[in-house]
Amino acid sequence: MFFRLYKYSLLQSTRDRLALFWNLIFPIVLGSLFQAAFGNYMEKEILFQQIPVAYVAEGEADGNFTELLKILEEENEMVTVEEVGRKEAEKLLQKGDVQGIYYNGEPQKEDGDKGQVSLVVAEQGIEQTILQSVLEQYGQNKSTLLQIAAKNPAGLPEALALLEDKQAFVKEGNIMDAPTNNMMDYFYSLIAMNCLMGALIGLTAAVEFKADLTPLAARRVVASTSRFGVLLPDLAAKITMQFFYIMFTIAYLSFALKVPLGERWAFILLTAMVGSMLGVILGFFIGVVGRSQQGIKEGICIVIMLGSSFFSGLMVGGMPRLIETYVPVFNHINPATLITKALYSLNMYGNLAQYAQSMGKMGLLILTLGIGAFLLVRRERYASI
Amino acid sequence: MGAVVEIENLVKRYKELIALDHLNLTVEEGEVFGLLGPNGSGKTTAINCILALLYFDKGSVKVFGEEIQPDSYGIKRQIGVVLQNVAVFEELTVQENIDYFCGLYVKDKKLRRQYVEEAMEFTGIEDFRKFYPKKLSGGLLRRLNIACGISHKPRLIIMDEPTVAVDPQSRNRILEGIQELNRKGATIIYTSHYMEEVEQICSQIAILDKGRCIASGTGEELKAMIKIGEKIHIEAAKLQPFQLEEIKELRHVYQVEYREGMLEIRCDGGKHNLVHILDYFGKREIGFGRVYSELPTLNDVFLEITGKELRDSAEGAM
Repeated sequence: MFFRLYKYSLLQSTRDRLALFWNLIFPIVLGSLFQAAFGNYMEKEILFQQIPVAYVAEGEADGNFTELLKILEEENEMVTVEEVGRKEAEKLLQKGDVQGIYYNGEPQKEDGDKGQVSLVVAEQGIEQTILQSVLEQYGQNKSTLLQIAAKNPAGLPEALALLEDKQAFVKEGNIMDAPTNNMMDYFYSLIAMNCLMGALIGLTAAVEFKADLTPLAARRVVASTSRFGVLLPDLAAKITMQFFYIMFTIAYLSFALKVPLGERWAFILLTAMVGSMLGVILGFFIGVVGRSQQGIKEGICIVIMLGSSFFSGLMVGGMPRLIETYVPVFNHINPATLITKALYSLNMYGNLAQYAQSMGKMGLLILTLGIGAFLLVRRERYASI
Repeated sequence: MGAVVEIENLVKRYKELIALDHLNLTVEEGEVFGLLGPNGSGKTTAINCILALLYFDKGSVKVFGEEIQPDSYGIKRQIGVVLQNVAVFEELTVQENIDYFCGLYVKDKKLRRQYVEEAMEFTGIEDFRKFYPKKLSGGLLRRLNIACGISHKPRLIIMDEPTVAVDPQSRNRILEGIQELNRKGATIIYTSHYMEEVEQICSQIAILDKGRCIASGTGEELKAMIKIGEKIHIEAAKLQPFQLEEIKELRHVYQVEYREGMLEIRCDGGKHNLVHILDYFGKREIGFGRVYSELPTLNDVFLEITGKELRDSAEGAM
């Protein structure tokens, strides 16, 4: 029974050309436009991939800096360090295998100070700038501590504690505090919008289920199959189709446009699935609440879909960070922001804590909307048809 | 034979408008029960109450002896519905649509396949099985609508104006089909504002107006309720007022109207009325043209009870 109804609903969805256009073609066109607009810029940006760096420690090397590099490599996953000899390091830099060389102990120039740490880079870029700022911050902190130790040794522990906080180059915390690539925001938001386009599909499911909206729905609800039995395969099929659309968009962005969405494909798929569910259930909920005509409900769906995507950064990059500053609670309930955050977290953080948080919120939204909608239609009779 | 549908004292209001005003109806098993009335008379509202789609303010609706609720699946299994508007999936073919709706009632795959074939054959759409609804003509679409409603072989079939906007050929086929379903044992509730259809196929008729049942019975019983027994029309030029008075004095004649050369005479029953009238014309040497006689229709019943034409009310409401 379930699979037969599921099959027919799936067939119906695959033959719905309007849905095919909006869910399949439109995101691809928009993605291509984004790529045309931001593609070159993006190629130069670093998405917090670890920066390869050579490390040459000779003579009176500063042990603290060696320790710092170790932390940056193992804990913060900011750099990959290759400890080599001076000549080998230069070869690596020439070949472009590393973005810079840290010299510790022996100066890289003849007039340099012994025991100082220095950096040599072959070109200028964001990665090189990051390596330079690591070195500068280290130098500043070292100098500060030396001065405090000389002038006020008692204040040293407090100063160390303060610096420890400041020294975190990549601080794990709220995603909105983390540095970001604004260009990727657009693509994440595009995927989020694609997920929320499922709202229109979900609305169709509601329209075909509310007897006061269409005769087709009336025929379905007067049948001897329970309402849940009619509804569940229909929603399952619509979510399946929506998932397929999102997968197509993601595949196109990733493989055709080479947008760096990351390597965690299992989690990306999971996000697409949950995002599809959220979109479809959201539309279904809008469809079953109230007695407005289908056209009005479609309008509401489109406004919510575009509004949600706008506030997740589809049109103005950095919008979620702005919302986080002024109305932080909105970011926790805005479906598009939650999807965007989940994808962002996958690409940004080593661990999955942030990702799980976003997915959990999406799950909660789905449950709330789903249960609410089902309670509304469970034994519904109408005041008028 | 027991009652299949019992409606008692049913009241349904849409804000200020009373759609059903203490409606009482009983449909016995094996009947083709016609609900006749102009648009807005409450036919579809009554149907929606029988199907547990609508809340109502007062009264009760029993189907197969039980109060029907939205989750009365056992009762619903025995009901087939053909709604006024075509209710099919645009993206599914004829065969897929029938299979979908039949499958909401019949779980057995083999039986369902057989039922779907039979429904297509019964409605004469088997040659269009691979067609999508938008490719079908209005008549074929109506037939598909019917096939979707009856494919599971229900004991009670509710048809809400199934012949609206249908060509005469399809209409005849649909009406024959309804009679065939009834012969096979189905009880049918048939709503329409086409009195000819109702007269043709219904064994019991209830006439609704403003949510009330104003008369019910067989067609003959309904016609027997009214004064008019026969209407005679005679084309005659230049009749004098005294002649009209004399005609009115003839036996069984109770109303005479003369307009634009056409005389309409209403008789309250009796036999040989036409012979008596023509005899009068002969004696007075009054020339006449076309002559025809009509038996009373349900429209006359409606006219006499409500003071308005059923047909005009229906068209006026459209």
